[in-house]
Amino acid sequence: MSVAKGTLEIRNLSKSYVVDNNPLQILKNINITFPAGAFVSILGSSGCGKTTLLRIMLGLETSYEGDALIDGEKIEGPGSNRGIVFQDHRLLPWLTVGENVAFGLDKLNRKTKKLLVDEHLKLVGLSGFEGAYPAQLSGGMAQRVAIARALANKPEILLLDEPLGALDALTRMYMQKELERLWEFEKITMIMVTHDVDEAIYLSDKIIIMSSRPGIINKIINIPSSRPRDRASSEFMQIKAEILNEFHLGSEYPFAYAI
Amino acid sequence: MTISNKTKAFLGSSIVPLLLVIVWQYVASSGYVASFILPSPNQIIKTFVTNFVEKEYALHIAASLKRVLIGFLIGTVSGFSFGLLMGLSRTAEKIFGPFFNVIRQVPIIGFIPLIIMWFGVTELPRIIIITVAAFYPVTLNTFAGIRNVPKEYFELSSVYGYKGLKLIRRIVIPAALPSITTGITLALGMSWAMLMAAELFIQTYFGIGTRIQLGRDKFNMALVIVGIITVGALGFFMTTIVEQLAKALDRGKIIRKET
Repeated sequence: MSVAKGTLEIRNLSKSYVVDNNPLQILKNINITFPAGAFVSILGSSGCGKTTLLRIMLGLETSYEGDALIDGEKIEGPGSNRGIVFQDHRLLPWLTVGENVAFGLDKLNRKTKKLLVDEHLKLVGLSGFEGAYPAQLSGGMAQRVAIARALANKPEILLLDEPLGALDALTRMYMQKELERLWEFEKITMIMVTHDVDEAIYLSDKIIIMSSRPGIINKIINIPSSRPRDRASSEFMQIKAEILNEFHLGSEYPFAYAI
Repeated sequence: MTISNKTKAFLGSSIVPLLLVIVWQYVASSGYVASFILPSPNQIIKTFVTNFVEKEYALHIAASLKRVLIGFLIGTVSGFSFGLLMGLSRTAEKIFGPFFNVIRQVPIIGFIPLIIMWFGVTELPRIIIITVAAFYPVTLNTFAGIRNVPKEYFELSSVYGYKGLKLIRRIVIPAALPSITTGITLALGMSWAMLMAAELFIQTYFGIGTRIQLGRDKFNMALVIVGIITVGALGFFMTTIVEQLAKALDRGKIIRKET
């Protein structure tokens, strides 16, 4: 029996920095399991350590207490089993779109490389753009290229660090649909850090709500409802109200109850 | 009738020289100034023609061009290497940086007596002067370009396992390229400026500087001015070539985007 790959576990994880000779705790006793193939969002206001947590999962941050495990093995550093999409697209301006997508495919021969680049540009709807330079793309297009670059490596887990944070509201909603489509197509684990409540509800199977100083897990909300989700449904609104309450932003009479 | 932008730019840039020639011709022919002090444009053209008809003038130009090219090339290559070393290694910067910053404050002309004492009145000291002149701007701009490579690029590189020589070749140098090419363009200008100093201070038979010197000794200002125009035209020509090369190297149009 084959076990689905792409399970990420965080066990009793704590992390602190030393600031002016005083230890500053960033993350405190974090326990999360990201099941293989699930879409999980980490939601929190700025300063809750969610980006640090993502850096740990990525392998860029290696000094902490506790464990970070992928399929039961300790994360020792960055690896091709994880892809990352940053908030800024971080495409290299001197490389074409095609060369940017091939950035992590150095070890492959030219033919395989081209095949993977074509496949993933098509997947994000940018076939025919491989010769363009990043400066010629819009924000949404650039972010699609960044997603294609991350997926071209065939990761088991895709980490998304506020991937749509720099886009305008409409492009953002459109890209949320696209992310959902890609997730359903690739069947890999996606872990997204965001501070957009709607985005988290729209995309996630599970939302992890964190609070700041030190970063702890406040609540984990499972969202069983079917996809694609209707942003205007009462169920959606109820979940939103529940989440906003966690941030003390809930209205006294959320309209979902007032109907 | 429509005039192309290129023609407009050309017409615009010829206003100042044209006015200068008109005023110059007027002053020279008015009789207020002796013709050996300010020869008329007419005389200049005559001197120009007779000079260029002589085969020897080509030898003077060749000698100067050779000096500039050798000095510029050695200065650029060594400046790039040194800037790269200091840019990449904090230790190298600590060791060489302070000394470099003190010594570059001294105008190169100040070193000429020393250089002559050490190397004699030969071709070597002339080339050394030009080399040093090209070395400073390339070193400084390479160093600055490398230090200004966004840390996000390094993060991306470590995610994709780029390190060592691969990191330098594929990320650091391309990212620093706009700054490096600025340094090289500046170096070319400095090379031409210091060519004059080298030829005027360190006597030689062949060289445009020598011709200017000869003009001064013979009270033949027309010869001096022809020399100046020759240097200006050659310098302009070479700078244009270097700028075009820089543009061709600038994939993704990083430079044009910034300006």
